[in-house]
Amino acid sequence: MSAAALERQIRPIYDAIDTGSNKSAIVGCNKLLKKYPKNDLLKALKALALVRSQKVEESLVFCEEVLASKPTDDATLTAMMHVLRHLGRHADTVTMFEDALKRQPGNEELAMQTFFANVRTGNWKAGQQLATKLHKQFHADRYTYWSIMCAVLQASDSTTPANMRDLLFKLAHRLVTSAWNFTELHADRLYLHVSILKALNLYDDAQTLLESEQGQAICSRSLACDELRREIWKAKGLLQEEGKIAEERIVEKRDRNWLEFLSFLDATVPPSPQSASNGTGLSTYEETPQRIIHAREVLTNVAEKDGTRDRSGLLALLELEQRVRAHSLSSEPSRLVDLLLQYFETFGDKAACYEDLKPYITLDAEELSRWTSYLDGLPRSSSTLSSLQRLINIYKLTRYNLPTSELTVELEVPRATKLVQEYLDALPLGKDLPNTELQPADDLAILAGQVYAGLYSLAGDEAYLHNAVAVLEFASKRSPQSYLIHLQLVRILRLLGAPQPALEHYRLLNVKQVQNDTLSHYVLNRASSFSLAATGDLTYASECLESSQIYISNSQEVKIGNSQPASRRANVRQTAEFIVRAFTGEKYSQIPDFISFEDRLDNSLQRDLVKMEHVRMRITHEPINSELINLELIELKFIFDRFHHDNRDFEILPKYQPHGQPSFLTQTTLLGKQPSLGWLWVFLKIYIKALQQASDMDYSLEEKLLIGDRPKQSAASDIHIPMEERLDSRRPEELAELTADELTFYNFTTDLADWLAPYHNHTRPPPSVALAEATKQLESKSGLPPKAVEAPASNGTGNGHVKKAEDAPPVKEGPASIVGFFDHMHKRFDALVESNGSLPEILHVASLAQEALLLFSIETLRFKNASLVKIHKLGALVQNIKTIRSSALAVVGEIGAELIKIGESEGTSEKRRAFVSQCEPFLSDLGVSDSRHIPREATLTGALQITHGDVLDVAKKVTDARKKAAEGFGKGIGRVCAAHA
Amino acid sequence: MSIIRPFRATDLFTFNNINLDLWTETYGISFYLTYLARWPDLCCVQAAPTGPLMGYILGKAEGTSTDFHGHITALTVAPEFRRLGLARSMIAFLERASDDTYGGFFVDLYVRCTNAVGISLYEGLGYSVYRRVREYYGSLGLGPGGKDEEDAFDMRKPLSRDPHRRSVRPNGRDMIVSAHDVS
Ligand SMILES: CC(C)(COP(=O)(O)OP(=O)(O)OC[C@H]1O[C@@H](n2cnc3c(N)ncnc32)[C@H](O)[C@@H]1OP(=O)(O)O)[C@@H](O)C(=O)NCCC(=O)NCCS
Repeated sequence: MSAAALERQIRPIYDAIDTGSNKSAIVGCNKLLKKYPKNDLLKALKALALVRSQKVEESLVFCEEVLASKPTDDATLTAMMHVLRHLGRHADTVTMFEDALKRQPGNEELAMQTFFANVRTGNWKAGQQLATKLHKQFHADRYTYWSIMCAVLQASDSTTPANMRDLLFKLAHRLVTSAWNFTELHADRLYLHVSILKALNLYDDAQTLLESEQGQAICSRSLACDELRREIWKAKGLLQEEGKIAEERIVEKRDRNWLEFLSFLDATVPPSPQSASNGTGLSTYEETPQRIIHAREVLTNVAEKDGTRDRSGLLALLELEQRVRAHSLSSEPSRLVDLLLQYFETFGDKAACYEDLKPYITLDAEELSRWTSYLDGLPRSSSTLSSLQRLINIYKLTRYNLPTSELTVELEVPRATKLVQEYLDALPLGKDLPNTELQPADDLAILAGQVYAGLYSLAGDEAYLHNAVAVLEFASKRSPQSYLIHLQLVRILRLLGAPQPALEHYRLLNVKQVQNDTLSHYVLNRASSFSLAATGDLTYASECLESSQIYISNSQEVKIGNSQPASRRANVRQTAEFIVRAFTGEKYSQIPDFISFEDRLDNSLQRDLVKMEHVRMRITHEPINSELINLELIELKFIFDRFHHDNRDFEILPKYQPHGQPSFLTQTTLLGKQPSLGWLWVFLKIYIKALQQASDMDYSLEEKLLIGDRPKQSAASDIHIPMEERLDSRRPEELAELTADELTFYNFTTDLADWLAPYHNHTRPPPSVALAEATKQLESKSGLPPKAVEAPASNGTGNGHVKKAEDAPPVKEGPASIVGFFDHMHKRFDALVESNGSLPEILHVASLAQEALLLFSIETLRFKNASLVKIHKLGALVQNIKTIRSSALAVVGEIGAELIKIGESEGTSEKRRAFVSQCEPFLSDLGVSDSRHIPREATLTGALQITHGDVLDVAKKVTDARKKAAEGFGKGIGRVCAAHA
Repeated sequence: MSIIRPFRATDLFTFNNINLDLWTETYGISFYLTYLARWPDLCCVQAAPTGPLMGYILGKAEGTSTDFHGHITALTVAPEFRRLGLARSMIAFLERASDDTYGGFFVDLYVRCTNAVGISLYEGLGYSVYRRVREYYGSLGLGPGGKDEEDAFDMRKPLSRDPHRRSVRPNGRDMIVSAHDVS
């Protein structure tokens, strides 16, 4: 066979694979394999085409053959690398390259690939050794740096014991010292070098390096190195030196990076006397007054020169004054307010003014009155963009300093109305802007929205939320791109129990990619009580899945059915490729960030909060059977081992409430409690416990049937504590995140599980039976036979061995608390309805009652098996279960029926009328609030007024949505009751 | 109060206030990591001292011989922090790195022909139109705007290695090329 001829014939196969024509690639491979049945490359390509067409099982046959032949040629190795990546078999990739390298030790490309294979699996130790070898053999400098980087990464890994860390940093230090080249200007090498010195507290060495010509040259153009330098200087207490550098940069180079101003100010006077005393080098306290005078001069100069071009000079003067006052060194008490006035004069027409001044406007009574009367005395107009922005800032700044005594309903209502009026008055300014632009007046509507939210939390009257929705919906039409308006609406509509329009506004934000992780909490927080999945409406359930795509696509190509445990993670990590790239390009400064980014995304709290909500929705509409139980159990247990990171973005909503008051975000938190890690932990415990009892899997089998790896465990988690103990633990900080109703529910599930545990444990089939069952399931899912597993010998110990019937634990009556729970929830529900409780609260109680019924079903599923009951003589238990079930069904069913009634009372014309009349204060047309639609054109000023018609539309939207939420949930409950009767 | 510091991978968790703006695209994670893994010194953010991001710039270095240059891929400032000179200072940062670190001959960028603010910003900083690229952008689907919306100006500014300003030309707006002739 001629190699060239073969190569020619193979090319079309590559083309087919590249273009995704896997079928024709397979055909091509088959044809050539007839001629060259032993050719590894062909087999590898066929395996790749197969795995890409989801034919995992078939692919494995070829995959194993190729691996067994220990290939060394580049093409085969590359193809196999892709195959194994698809399968999530990273450890095998490493082994394959290592084997190849053993056979061709002089092949540099192969050695590099082996190194990268280790990098992809995060195997820093092996990577370090290999890079050292590479350097010995091929002498390129970068291999030394690779090995240094690997040592640092190994040292920083949370699983590395503390005593090893120091050793590894010392190793890295030794390597970097001998490799260091004093003439090259390599920013990332310097970064790595200095970060090692920093980790070892070798600040003097770091300083010397950074002060060298080389160091200075690099720092002057690398933000990353300069950042590190700043930290070293700070740690060394080189405040004065740093201040000098900063002053020079500010004055000579006109650098306006605020970091320079901070350094300059730190050298002048520390932020507070406390920070001065903890030893950061301001030994010469006597010189402080001179330094202050000097700084004031420098900064005044900067401010004058910069004028309106840059605000740093003025802000630095403010910061200086604030610090001077903190040290009681102020000679001219009026200076702070002078500066505030000056700032407002100069930059009052910038949108950033409020955020800029916030840190400096906590004033004493006298100053406050001067500042406030200044603001009060300013001309107020919205005739130009600049005056409008000033007006907005005046409102924001004034509001910030409102004392609690002035936050009464009587005073806040006119403030809100006034803001709406100002908003409407300012609208003409933006009337010619295309609707892709934000309206300059938007902030006034946003402010009004916050005042109304404040009123709601003050008085508890939903009318204020109606006001907010009316104004914000109007504003949203004028400024469809304003994400702040959409987000405020999402918050308020959910509070009103109108999940559908809330979701619509959320979707208008066009949340994409990684934003799903940080923003989905705005709609998916406690979404299960808004989910109508039980009626077949999967809107919220699919929202959960869609928002979770980002986690899967970051670790894409992973198909279940990986039969070999990889060394660390089962998935292909997209981020890993970039870590490899950063090594290739020697961008060492990026690598730790990439790793931390990946960790935060993989172990995102929101990811698992959504997962939990999804499970809660799922069980309302899917049949509860062993497949669902086992799959969810495995997944939830994975989550239970994670160390979570909270990436949720709570900062994006502006904070316009007065200083010291709860923020808009807090005021609009559903049920007043934000589910976080503690909430997740409780629900994981509830579900894992129930599913575990219901499941036939035992630990050892589960371990063997696992798809891929367990997630990386953190050293900080309490993972070493036995599972049962962790499931039983109750921590106050976790309970604190629950609503009172959730706590009741938690107690119910605990009592239920405790009651039934002995019967589950007694009747659970032996592992061999469970294994056969699980194997069958896995096979039907993935088309792949799981690895051969020996059922553990039934030696009479352990969970689930066959017990004789006479061992059966005596049947005990279900504790009163179980039946009591349902009665209690019924009373809670009725009380809420009677007292006109909010719809989300009513739905919350209803959904927990339904969830309790579902968990009861999960817990008792096993005892529906008549022959099992007979063998184990559990008839009395089953009788008891039946009694409880029927009373639970009665209660839950009634709640459902009442919800339908509530739904009917929503969406009526009276409700709409009431809504509209609540908004009367800011309506333009004084028509009676009937349901007659007044066309917009009929009003004089056209779209620049809020009309009855506008509000009526909104009222309809909200009340219809409430109707749907209540009625739909009620109907869903009906279905659930029927399915679990 | 704006701090200039390197763009970090973890900034993707906090850039919502910037990226929810209509004119700022949110790409897949690999887009950002591609830039950071190769040109971290051409990327930076502006942030408040307390953490929140205000704006960022992402750039790259590309081209060969006298075509070697810095490129502004993304430049954006959150609406509430506009008109404070943040964009100006980030552009200056990128120009300096393109000049000093990379030794590029010029900096260039693409901007929608309809983005008047963008164009005037760049013109004010010494950039000029080098050519007009047909259908460089997808339509925003926002109604009339037509060609201008999809066409891009390729704008350039020479750096110190191009003292004779060979990388720019005076009548660039009339030089029309199609999208496949570039990038
Ligand atoms: C374009 C954009 C980045 C400008 O950011 P910025 O920080 O507000 O800009 P700067 O404050 O640095 O402005 C510098 C100069 O540009 C011009 N400019 C900026 N915004 C302007 C506007 N809205 N109207 C008129 N001129 C403007 C001015 O000349 C300004 O100097 P000046 O304020 O001293 O008069 C910002 O508006 C933005 O993020 N837009 C959306 C994304 C985008 O279009 N990016 C550019 C395409 S690559």
